[in-house]
Amino acid sequence: MTVRLAAAILILSRAPAFAHRLDEYLQATLVEVEKHRVRAEVTLTPGVAVSEFVIHMIDTDADGAISTVEGQSYAARVLEDLTLTVDGRRLTLQVTSVQFPPLSEMREGRGEIQLDLAARSPRGGRDRKVVLVNHHQRRIAAYEVNCLLPRDPRVRIGAQKRNYSQSIYELDYQETDEPSGIPSGLIWLAPVALLLTARLVFVWRERPVRCVGAPNWTAR
Amino acid sequence: MNTPLCFWASTLMLFLLSSANAQTATSRIVSAANAFLSTLDEKQRLSVLFAFDDEEQRVRWSNFPISIVPRAGLPFKDMTPAQHSAAMNLLAAALSKRGLDKVQQIMEADEVLKTNEANGRGGGGPPPGRGDGFAGRKGDGPPEGGPPPGRGLGGNRGGRGPGGGLLFGKDLYYFSFLGKPSEKTIWTLQFGGHHLAVNVTIDGDRGILTPTLTGAQPALYTSNGKTVRPLGGESDKALAVLNALDEGQRKQAILNYRVPDLVLGPGKDGKTIQPEGLRASNMTGKQRDMLLEVISEWAGIVHESAAAARMTQLRADISDTWFAWSGAATAEPGRNITAYYRIQGPHLVIEYSPQQMGGDPGLHVHTMYRDPTNDYGRKPAAK
Repeated sequence: MTVRLAAAILILSRAPAFAHRLDEYLQATLVEVEKHRVRAEVTLTPGVAVSEFVIHMIDTDADGAISTVEGQSYAARVLEDLTLTVDGRRLTLQVTSVQFPPLSEMREGRGEIQLDLAARSPRGGRDRKVVLVNHHQRRIAAYEVNCLLPRDPRVRIGAQKRNYSQSIYELDYQETDEPSGIPSGLIWLAPVALLLTARLVFVWRERPVRCVGAPNWTAR
Repeated sequence: MNTPLCFWASTLMLFLLSSANAQTATSRIVSAANAFLSTLDEKQRLSVLFAFDDEEQRVRWSNFPISIVPRAGLPFKDMTPAQHSAAMNLLAAALSKRGLDKVQQIMEADEVLKTNEANGRGGGGPPPGRGDGFAGRKGDGPPEGGPPPGRGLGGNRGGRGPGGGLLFGKDLYYFSFLGKPSEKTIWTLQFGGHHLAVNVTIDGDRGILTPTLTGAQPALYTSNGKTVRPLGGESDKALAVLNALDEGQRKQAILNYRVPDLVLGPGKDGKTIQPEGLRASNMTGKQRDMLLEVISEWAGIVHESAAAARMTQLRADISDTWFAWSGAATAEPGRNITAYYRIQGPHLVIEYSPQQMGGDPGLHVHTMYRDPTNDYGRKPAAK
């Protein structure tokens, strides 16, 4: 397999000047944290020079098509190379969706394999940490991991850390019972703020108004 | 006149003045669009007009050459001189002078790439001489040494048409419309090809440029004895911002990891990521102004009144806008940076991504410009 990969890269590394991804296997992950769940959208894009190598891993019977079984098998292989932990506990990722592009698109360096993964996260404290480690095809991988803004208002994103290659990604976040943006200790402030705002509006309407940014018609 | 009346009178005046300007821009674009459409025959007209809710056409844009990601619409190559002229008038109405210049330089770069490929010189990327049907030779035969196992040439013309013709060049940029040009109802002008996807949505007096992709290869070339860098402003101004930061700010702005590609490129509509880097609230006023100058390289592509409205919005957001940098913090004078950077705010995502494919990454650049709240003008207009 190594020889095959090396040969493919050697042949194709005298690259087409216009081609976009060549000898790397882009693995871009978008992580989304919900209150009791972690989701990951993984987009795998083999470059032109490594596409045959990747196709060979997927299309194991080499019939030029990716069957359902082959697709599931490859998804499982990717999952084996991923480790997801929350608060130090390893979670079991499930494949919720998998899509493969036509092989012709993969050969052109634009075929994107889309894996949607999800795992239930165990109950924990307020401050939590997700760690995602990806070692899939690390010799040719170009990793990218980012966190989507949470749709769950009870989740607040904290710090993100990565190693240089982004194969290791750490995300701190907080889970609350209230929508993010209002710290739980300050929830009592809401009615006070409302009363203050009403008072300010009242005072504002009572005060004399000077015309700003317009001719002072009354001065004539 | 009492003061409240005076306030409302001045507000009304400003509103009417700005509306008049915006209406002028919108009516000028609509008029140019209709003039272009009137030059087309029925078949051509059908090929450029799509329903506004045609989601397939809406997302049919890419950084790839048209041979790899075919576009729909009408390309320059299929236009008569009169149609070509009307199309350019439409672009000139929809874009600012600097925007039109940038777009033309990107197209010109593709023309340079076409010439270089025909001469076997490549586009500033890896060494020439490759022959697997991608580039470098006029023939369409198998590569030296043959294709890799299992690879069929038929599935990968790599920039060549069925007859072996090169599929680069400034004639291969396509026009299409989502919806019919109108001063009242929403519609979108799409224009693009290799390294270019301009989506200008007109919604009454609003002009929205997001999402728009710009790129260039080569991102530095000479034309009529002049050095041209289509994305030179994006490179130089961002580096100037980085250089204006103190050590503590740079520590926040510079990411300690490699970003290999656009995060929110084609196909990533509707996604918003957590911002990173240095928040502009931690910049000085001068640094924030410099950051706005970088942003204006994208925001200023659209026609002037829409660009002004957009810059007003982005200026108001500036304190909540982030600047992140990954890669070399220097560049040779007159050359592009080789680093990735991202500018992200409540209504903005900008990414600048040099492509790592051998050679100088600064010679092959992709950029993305988005408004995560209003790509394609999907935010309802304030009534």
